[in-house]
Amino acid sequence: MKPARSSHSKITELENILETLNLSKNYGRITAVKDLSLEVGPGHVFGILGPNGSGKTTTLSIISGIIESNAGTYRWFGREPRAGMRKNIGSLIEVPNFYPYLNLTRNLSIAARIKDKPLDDIERVLKMVNLWERRKSRFDTLSLGMKQRLALSSVLLGDPDVLVLDEPANGLDPEGIAEVREIILREREKQKTIILASHILDEVEKVCTHVAVLKNGQSIARGKVHELLAVDDPVIVSCPEPDKLKEEIIRAGLSKSVEKNGNELLVILKKGKEAKDINEFAFSKGIILDRLETRKTSLESQFLELVK
Amino acid sequence: MRSIILNEITKTWSYTAFRVIILLHFFLFFLVVLSTSAMDITVPGFSTSHLYQFPNIWEYFPWVASWFNLLLAILIIVMTGNEYSFRTFRQHVVDGFSRIQLLSGKAFLILMIGVYSLLMVLLFSLIFGFIFSNDYSDGAFLNKTYILLVYFVQAIAYMSAGFFLAVLFRNTALAIVLFILYRLIIEPVFRLFFPQGARLYFPMKAISNLTPLPEFLSISSGNQAGAEGVDTLSFREMGLMAEDLPVLVNLLLALGYTALFISLAYLLLRKRNL
Repeated sequence: MKPARSSHSKITELENILETLNLSKNYGRITAVKDLSLEVGPGHVFGILGPNGSGKTTTLSIISGIIESNAGTYRWFGREPRAGMRKNIGSLIEVPNFYPYLNLTRNLSIAARIKDKPLDDIERVLKMVNLWERRKSRFDTLSLGMKQRLALSSVLLGDPDVLVLDEPANGLDPEGIAEVREIILREREKQKTIILASHILDEVEKVCTHVAVLKNGQSIARGKVHELLAVDDPVIVSCPEPDKLKEEIIRAGLSKSVEKNGNELLVILKKGKEAKDINEFAFSKGIILDRLETRKTSLESQFLELVK
Repeated sequence: MRSIILNEITKTWSYTAFRVIILLHFFLFFLVVLSTSAMDITVPGFSTSHLYQFPNIWEYFPWVASWFNLLLAILIIVMTGNEYSFRTFRQHVVDGFSRIQLLSGKAFLILMIGVYSLLMVLLFSLIFGFIFSNDYSDGAFLNKTYILLVYFVQAIAYMSAGFFLAVLFRNTALAIVLFILYRLIIEPVFRLFFPQGARLYFPMKAISNLTPLPEFLSISSGNQAGAEGVDTLSFREMGLMAEDLPVLVNLLLALGYTALFISLAYLLLRKRNL
């Protein structure tokens, strides 16, 4: 007899976990989302980036079933969306929503019953987010960071294969942000599919495999994070004779461009060339470098460039 | 369904305001029936203690209980309004509930509170009935017990109206104020513009008419007068009260309005963003 396949293995066989096709949502005359088409594959950590009001939360709210789109469709696991499907998707949309007068265990028991998950799992998820000691506390006595962690624990109930997280580090202190990031990275290691909307670019850069950048409700760029980052990183070089080095670099055809700025040169290397090649080249020409540094173009600078 | 029921119980029983309103409802009712029973006015041919005897008590206690239906409706408004202010309706949908399951939760709560109020009236009716009655024969005991079920439908109808307003306004305070205004001022004033017969079909009128003012005069003097072979006049015969619709018609009207309130609430839940 063949062993039963886990839901995870079935999911990884799917082409796409989520597909949206021309999703649009208007609030009166305001367009929140316009013709948005996305595909999120299994095991992807898909970042949705965009400035405030770009449509990130609206998009996640539509795919979470709490608002209706005006046009377009979306499919979860290759099928038309149904309420029951969401039981296997851990979602945190905007702020944590719990009953303030109930303690943590009772709040999670409500979520577990809705998701058809065993109540025993509450202990595991509360321990995961370091809230087990506070299980008897009322929700309204928690700090903002604790509330956010509780929301994450609710998301993790039943160990879902897909997570939808909208600004999970919202309002957290640096320690809280690090904790949340740790949890997300742990889930990523388990090959889970994660859809993460965030305005913290550093977070997306460090956590996500894929990214879509939204502006005015439209996707203006999307792809793998490392591909979006694959641009010409400038190399900063300084030496006592920058003019001589500049001439030599141009003559040798090492660079696409060289700009002089005081004693420093900003060199954009040709494809296949690395910073160490400049060092070797300068040494061969008898020039000793004071400084050699590759300035990484951050997602932030590219993001700002895109949404300009 | 089991998860819906367990969740509603978890949400309500742990909520202090819920327990306070339920206890207030219970003790207010008890206080009214106890204090009025203590004020027995007895003159030859007339005794208010007749109101506490079987079968009159089945008419009198549901009528007294109907005064406090407003509290039950407020309770439903508070519990539904909470789901909006805590944004938990929204969270339940995110977690996998459908709109119909959201509605089912509140429908169960309405039913649960309705059963509680029915049992409360039944319990006090039995206690006071056995204390004040001399005749426990089957006929006298069971006569008019159907009014308890009529009262149950009335309580459900009031709470459904409260639920609809809470879903409509998504704001507890506004829904409570408008419910009270509609019940006490808006509909009564609006009814004045309609002929007498049409007024009986308005929602609050139809629902409140399920437990009409008992015929105090005929009940209080009925036994004595009956024994002496004297006919007593009712309030209606004296022209003090308008004629009501037959109970069955009233009952169907109230059930119709209940279905309408619940259906409208469902439509709003389905069509609006959470």
